[in-house]
Amino acid sequence: MKQRKMTFYSWLCSAPSLLLILLIVVFPILYTAYISVTNMNVYHWFNFSFVGMENYRDALFVFDSGFLAALGRTVVWTALNMALQLVLAFVLASLLNIREFRGRKLYKTILMVPWAIPGYVSILLWKTGMFNSQFGLLNQWMEGLGLQAVRWLANDVSAFLCCTVVNLWLALPFMLMIMDGALQAVDKSFYESAILDGATWLQRAVHITIPEIRGIIGPAVLITLFTTFKQFDVIYLLTQQAGARTGANIHTILTYAYENAFITNNYGYSSAVSMIIFAVLVLFSTAVNRRKKEG
Amino acid sequence: MKRLFAALLSLCLAAALLTACGAPAADPDGPVTITIWHDKEDEVAAVLQEELDQLAPEIQVKLERKDGLTDSLKMVGNDPNAAPDMYFFAHDKIGVFAEMGILAPITDFVDEETLTGYLPMTIEAATYKGEIYQLPLYFETLLYMYNRLYMSDDEVPATTEELYAYMEQTTQGGHYGFVEQHSTAYYAAGWLHAFGGYILNSEGQPGLDDPNTVRALEYHKKFVSLMPTEGEYATVNTLFREGKAHSTIGGPWLVPTAREAGIDLGIAPMPVVDETGNPIAPYSGVQGIHVLKVAAERKHDAILKVLDVLTGDSVGTAIAAASGCAPARESCYEDPAVAEDEMVMAMYETAQNAVPMPNVPEMDVMWTVSENLLVEVNMQGADPQTSAAAAQQQALSLIEQMQ
Repeated sequence: MKQRKMTFYSWLCSAPSLLLILLIVVFPILYTAYISVTNMNVYHWFNFSFVGMENYRDALFVFDSGFLAALGRTVVWTALNMALQLVLAFVLASLLNIREFRGRKLYKTILMVPWAIPGYVSILLWKTGMFNSQFGLLNQWMEGLGLQAVRWLANDVSAFLCCTVVNLWLALPFMLMIMDGALQAVDKSFYESAILDGATWLQRAVHITIPEIRGIIGPAVLITLFTTFKQFDVIYLLTQQAGARTGANIHTILTYAYENAFITNNYGYSSAVSMIIFAVLVLFSTAVNRRKKEG
Repeated sequence: MKRLFAALLSLCLAAALLTACGAPAADPDGPVTITIWHDKEDEVAAVLQEELDQLAPEIQVKLERKDGLTDSLKMVGNDPNAAPDMYFFAHDKIGVFAEMGILAPITDFVDEETLTGYLPMTIEAATYKGEIYQLPLYFETLLYMYNRLYMSDDEVPATTEELYAYMEQTTQGGHYGFVEQHSTAYYAAGWLHAFGGYILNSEGQPGLDDPNTVRALEYHKKFVSLMPTEGEYATVNTLFREGKAHSTIGGPWLVPTAREAGIDLGIAPMPVVDETGNPIAPYSGVQGIHVLKVAAERKHDAILKVLDVLTGDSVGTAIAAASGCAPARESCYEDPAVAEDEMVMAMYETAQNAVPMPNVPEMDVMWTVSENLLVEVNMQGADPQTSAAAAQQQALSLIEQMQ
């Protein structure tokens, strides 16, 4: 009896958060799944009906060669961004943890600033302030050096790199904060012993720091992996915003789906595309989790 | 005690979460309130509010500025508790909302004879499948503007070849003879129309691979080569405002900022394309009032009175004076203040050739597809014929997916 009471009490205490998760996470997914089997579109907005798997059949046409190229690009984008973020955050956090480093608290605060600015504003500031070929800072420097102005966002490779830089600017503070916290949690006596044994900085990093912090930064890496994989804003706003296209053709799966499905105002069809992308993400997540456990 | 308190708190929180989902109760008593959603600048909204305040106290008109107006309407357009009674927006979404079934025809409130006093272009824009869904208030279209510091009134090009010669002569050292948002569908459409081409016709059929469209794309390329590759709003307008571009094609919204920047601004008719003898014919956007079905029956009399005020000339002339927009009512142009306004009259002239933006739902997919085509041709050097054919196929398939 007491056990049952305890169970009820636990459920009751968790009820508000469970309800919230149900409303803002589970319900939208279920509703999208429901919409995906209806013909909800401009012509059947309020009087939509069940159409079975028809939308899924149509959605498969979106997953053509263009989608596969976008998928490949998304994987490269995720891998490159993750690698750069981990290395840079590790180096910066290590520097910020040198006790003799004066003003490290100030630097830590400054490095957090990109996080405080809304992403939309940051991205457009980078676009016009840095990369614009007429007024951008980069081209002002090029001009100052007597070099030709460059159209940074016009060709695929340089636009991809520019997007990576902006994404790093936006995402680094989070990784840096986690990494910094993780480094502070490492027992200092390990380093003292290692220094006595004559270990170099690199040896200490490889044999003490990285194994010690791996468990702590794991969840942060997973979260970043997904936000990077489904990144839309950076790529869309920098290169593909309606009325402000730059000429680069660097679709990721989300921008590709947006252009080939979501603009049709066909909610049934778009939901089917979303559900398939959702399935891809779940598969990706399972694969990453499995590897993590094995590793 | 502590546990009981925690349990109660959890219960309250959960209950609050659920009640937040409920709808607010409506107040059946008191004066009739008419809510109008809009996305306009403050000057225009203030004029409208002032005109409609004369209906108080029986009818309280509340103008509410709404960001993302069209998306909000898609969500709540048929919900009497959340939808507005009317909205004030451009005509190009009429098709979408009419198909969704949330719009009431304006002819249920305004008689046909009153509507004959409007410029035909504005009524054409407001008509979808034979029904008129908007009471037009004013319209806007693109204008050819120049900086008198560099381009004298005599130098203003009358034809596109004259414009090209001027561009060749003056585009150097960070200065441009002419700039425009060359790869944005809304701006490029004017060139297509001058050749008889089109993005989408009134039947909802795309015309990207129409021979006239392709001819226009090919001809337009040489002008783009003398403009900055970044053809977006910020770059083009900044170049003009900073005196680095001698002329541009821009909307009326550019005029106040250009004047503030100290530009001696001239406005001229659109250049005529030598090859066809037609001037560049941009899209026009007609701004007006739409009535929602959910309000049409419940508040019929109040809406009738609101629309009655809005069909008067004073609204059009007041909006023209406040923001330089061109009134939709023909008789407003007899007002001396309107007739002497250079910008309003330039817009009126351009409207003779302007093409109302298509108001069919299919246009939603055309912006993206035609912009991709323009980027391919203008920025990536693709062959117009091949790209246009591919774009047409994509447009057709997306339109099919809309159903």
